[in-house]
Amino acid sequence: MQVDRRTLVSAGLLVWYVAVSVWLAQAPADPQFWLIASILPALFVVVLIATYRHLPMSPASYGLITAFLTLHTIGVHYTYAEVPVGLWMDQVLHLGRNHFDRIVHFSFGFLLAYPMEELFRLSASVQGWVVYYLPVMTVLGLSGLWEIIESWVASAVHPELGVTYLGSQGDIWDAQKDMAAALYGALLCVSILLVVRALRGARSELQTEIAE
Amino acid sequence: MNAGVIERHDAESGNRRILVGLLLAYSVFWVWLAIDPLNRRDWLLENLLVLTLIPLLLLTYRRFEFSLTSYGLIGLFLILHAFGAHYTYAEVPFGFWLRDLGGLSRNPFDRIAHFAYGVLLVYPIRELLMRQTGLRGWWAYALPVCIVLAQSGFFEVLEAIVAMIVSPELGNIYLGTQGDEWDAQHDMAAALAGSILTMCIVFASSMLSKSKANSFPR
Repeated sequence: MQVDRRTLVSAGLLVWYVAVSVWLAQAPADPQFWLIASILPALFVVVLIATYRHLPMSPASYGLITAFLTLHTIGVHYTYAEVPVGLWMDQVLHLGRNHFDRIVHFSFGFLLAYPMEELFRLSASVQGWVVYYLPVMTVLGLSGLWEIIESWVASAVHPELGVTYLGSQGDIWDAQKDMAAALYGALLCVSILLVVRALRGARSELQTEIAE
Repeated sequence: MNAGVIERHDAESGNRRILVGLLLAYSVFWVWLAIDPLNRRDWLLENLLVLTLIPLLLLTYRRFEFSLTSYGLIGLFLILHAFGAHYTYAEVPFGFWLRDLGGLSRNPFDRIAHFAYGVLLVYPIRELLMRQTGLRGWWAYALPVCIVLAQSGFFEVLEAIVAMIVSPELGNIYLGTQGDEWDAQHDMAAALAGSILTMCIVFASSMLSKSKANSFPR
């Protein structure tokens, strides 16, 4: 059986993710939160494996997805408000709160907009400006869905804590800021994509000119 | 062949007449509610949406003409919104009546408007996507719902910015959280539920008349 590069990279990423997950599954700071917050990523990975054959994505996409899931796994292990890197940033830059969760929201947009773009381009055969518009809207839509689910979980698990549960860190605008962070991330990713493609297009035009 | 062209031309000018009628009716209604709103500044803020959306629809009419159904749905939503802007959302009389009727703790008119946003606008969005990009199949159901949710989230972000920066006091009226800490999430969930409802109806009707309903003219 021949093993191509894509399969190798994907398998490597999966091994990395499983290893990190198993390692960080030991003694999480809040076992209940760890369990709740691990359900969605686990399902997501299962879906990715199940669709690997008939909806293959590029190694770059799988890499970006793995990077995001790794960040999430770290956040879930410590609970987002207590991640050491975030605490350290708070001390050094005097931010007033642990910004690790905001960073992960931003990464959600920044890292996952490209896989979405690829998905729409390849499987829904979307073309033109919509290729850039849809990933941004999907990121924002899923962020909104995430905030809704968070609110349900918070109401179900700790109704007496209200918004203070699930890492709002006492900020009434937490949900809005999280969604905005994801939006900025997606916009940045899409902008980079546009610039890279414009440059690549210009270069290939130049090359054909030289060749002529 | 000639008759076909004339027929099509007639249908087009008929459509146009209905659209002009819709626009006129809405303008009269809008002006009536613009005369003496409860809070002029909130009214202005709310109407930024209308003042962008309608010119946008007019300017893009030649390049992209929605179906009459879509224009009608957009019109319905704008009528609801005009009421909300006139009375400020938290104080619409119809909402108070509903509150007393249902024994609710708050005026539900804004929640209804968010729900209506999903119900009414997901269809035009779907039409735009399908005709512009040739989106088909289940993507053509999932993505419009996603866009409604995204716009809803974007709106909540805008609201937050207005409330934080422009004027905390006006922000509270504009926001109409009415003391609910989960207001943003509830609003988004209402829009999500509304858009899913409409997509189910569209799906059901396309199942019933298999060939017709799923195809917009491109």
